Amino acid sequence: MFRAYSALIRKEFIQVSRDRNMLRLIFLMPVVQLLVLGYAVNLDVKKISLDVYDFNRSQTSRELVDAMKAGDYFIPGEEGQTKERRPLWHLADRFQDGSAQMAVIIPEDFSERLTRGENVTIGLMADGTDANSARIGLGYTAQIVDRYAWKHTGLSPPIGIRSAFLYNPETESVYYMVPGIVATLLTMVTIMLTSMAIVREREMGTLEQLMVTPISGFVLLMGKITTFAILGLLEMVIALAVGVLWFGIPFVGSPLLLLALAVLFLISTLGMGMFFSTITSSQQQAMFLAFFSTIFAMLTSGFFTPISNMPQWMQYITYLNPMRYFMTIMRGILMKGAGIADLAPDIIALAVYGSVIFSLSVIRFKKRTE
Amino acid sequence: MNDKIVVQVENLTKRFGTFTAVNNVSLSVRQGEIFGFLGANGAGKTTVIRMLCGLLLPSSGMGKVAGYDILTQPERIKRAIGYMSQKFSLYPDMTGRENLYFYGAAYGLGRKLIGERVMALSERLSLREFLDRPSKGLPIGWRQRLALAVSTLHHPKILFLDEPTGGVDPAFRRTFWSTLYDLAEEGATIFVTTHYMDEAEYCRRISIMHQGQIIELGTPHELVKKHRAANLEDMFVDLIRKRESDNA
Ligand SMILES: Nc1ncnc2c1ncn2[C@@H]1O[C@H](COP(=O)(O)OP(=O)(O)OP(=O)(O)O)[C@@H](O)[C@H]1O
Ligand SMILES: [Mg+2]
Repeated sequence: MFRAYSALIRKEFIQVSRDRNMLRLIFLMPVVQLLVLGYAVNLDVKKISLDVYDFNRSQTSRELVDAMKAGDYFIPGEEGQTKERRPLWHLADRFQDGSAQMAVIIPEDFSERLTRGENVTIGLMADGTDANSARIGLGYTAQIVDRYAWKHTGLSPPIGIRSAFLYNPETESVYYMVPGIVATLLTMVTIMLTSMAIVREREMGTLEQLMVTPISGFVLLMGKITTFAILGLLEMVIALAVGVLWFGIPFVGSPLLLLALAVLFLISTLGMGMFFSTITSSQQQAMFLAFFSTIFAMLTSGFFTPISNMPQWMQYITYLNPMRYFMTIMRGILMKGAGIADLAPDIIALAVYGSVIFSLSVIRFKKRTE
Repeated sequence: MNDKIVVQVENLTKRFGTFTAVNNVSLSVRQGEIFGFLGANGAGKTTVIRMLCGLLLPSSGMGKVAGYDILTQPERIKRAIGYMSQKFSLYPDMTGRENLYFYGAAYGLGRKLIGERVMALSERLSLREFLDRPSKGLPIGWRQRLALAVSTLHHPKILFLDEPTGGVDPAFRRTFWSTLYDLAEEGATIFVTTHYMDEAEYCRRISIMHQGQIIELGTPHELVKKHRAANLEDMFVDLIRKRESDNA
């Protein structure tokens, strides 16, 4: 059995390595997709136009504002130099028409509290529609404020920052896009490769020759699946490498955990691929099914629209989508360094989903036709 | 050849929906026999073979292949038989050698044993120069020899060959058949379909199928004599023509 299993894997690899379209699909597609989609998202965050709401208007607050404007990071926008208080809704307008992307708000008692050695908090408002810029702007500000606090008080930061995003912070950020693209690619490629590989063998007649050998249906499927799981993981590594090295997305959590959970996720998608191969009779049909299920998975995964923003009935539908769980897992591990405990519900959901769809397709895949 | 019966079928029937492709077929094949399976296109030959190989579930009837029940023990049958399908079904993008090693492993043979058998088979079938080319580029005669090599690699007791020489030129067909004779000498039973009457002459016994039924069964000599025909070809043509006009 093991001989047959390893021979199957070797055979699949030989075939993939001789199929140009397959190679292109596996290795070129992730890079191209990432570059295209990654650049569609605005990455140019060097200059953020910054409004200042200085309610303290002291020498001390002035210095902080100057420090922020000094670097290459911000373009000065409006400043409330007069005592008159501009209402914050004015800021919403400025975000809306794009004339400001961020605003710093310094409270009235800023200098007094600092001289008394008390903690003080400044406010930071950011335009969440470009969450990528917002996050980076927040990072810059934190650095500047830190340095300023050290210089002034010699104490570790007595100045806190409370930040808030206006609008939804989860859209259009390359940080959010890249994990989404990687998960989508992984889904598409594994479903497509698996379903098409089995259907192609049926079309070519080679499946019949295989069926007449003593290899069990289970081993046969395992051989295919192992190959495509390895290819899928390779694909993920390439895509993530491009994401991290080229786009500088963060990778805070454990790569090993991500790899292990990717394997868990692949059980679902490979199972789906097998299932599709049992209900289709041509490669085109298999490709269509793979394609549409990937689109469906993508739309209901929280890739573009956060799930919490979807209508309630749509939210229920997303529970049927394995990619939804993997998306949470990816974002969690990449950006927040989430561990097993944090991701437990998603891991359990994936495990249940994978074992159901996988067993279903193994049962449906018969060696003898009726 | 001995009298041991290795393929036995009784009232085998296969229906696809309302269409009956194989209708009450009964036959038996002895060990070491070359059994020819004749019939016009669509007669149901392939369907019978697929049921015997455990690829297709019969609608009714019984059968035993190599001592195992075709209804309940298809996986046991698979270890005992070799099958060459009507359509070329080796991996076209892999070389002959890769195909041979793959199928050898599929039958659980070790690499060393496969190596020895590939040597012997490529000697017997003069395949050596063609072993390392992608199988899709091979001329049809060589492709069929390669397919025969693949289906005999695990030394099966019974070989099911579905039109192994279709489209192959006469010189190739002769050497192919001499190989089949050698295999039969060595004790293999060969169940072979063909459209060529000269090949039917080489068979120990033949059966003629028409619209899902076996209408004649016997040695080529017996059948020619029974129908008072000049040769097998004439007998076959007459027989089919008569059937067609009976139906009309
Ligand atoms: N899976 C199937 N579903 C429906 N009909 C089928 C199926 N397989 C075969 N048939 C029909 O059964 C009949 C017998 O087919 P079969 O392939 O067994 O004939 P054959 O004798 O091998 O013909 P040929 O000499 O052309 O190979 C044909 O009419 C064919 O269309
Ligand atoms: Mg046929």
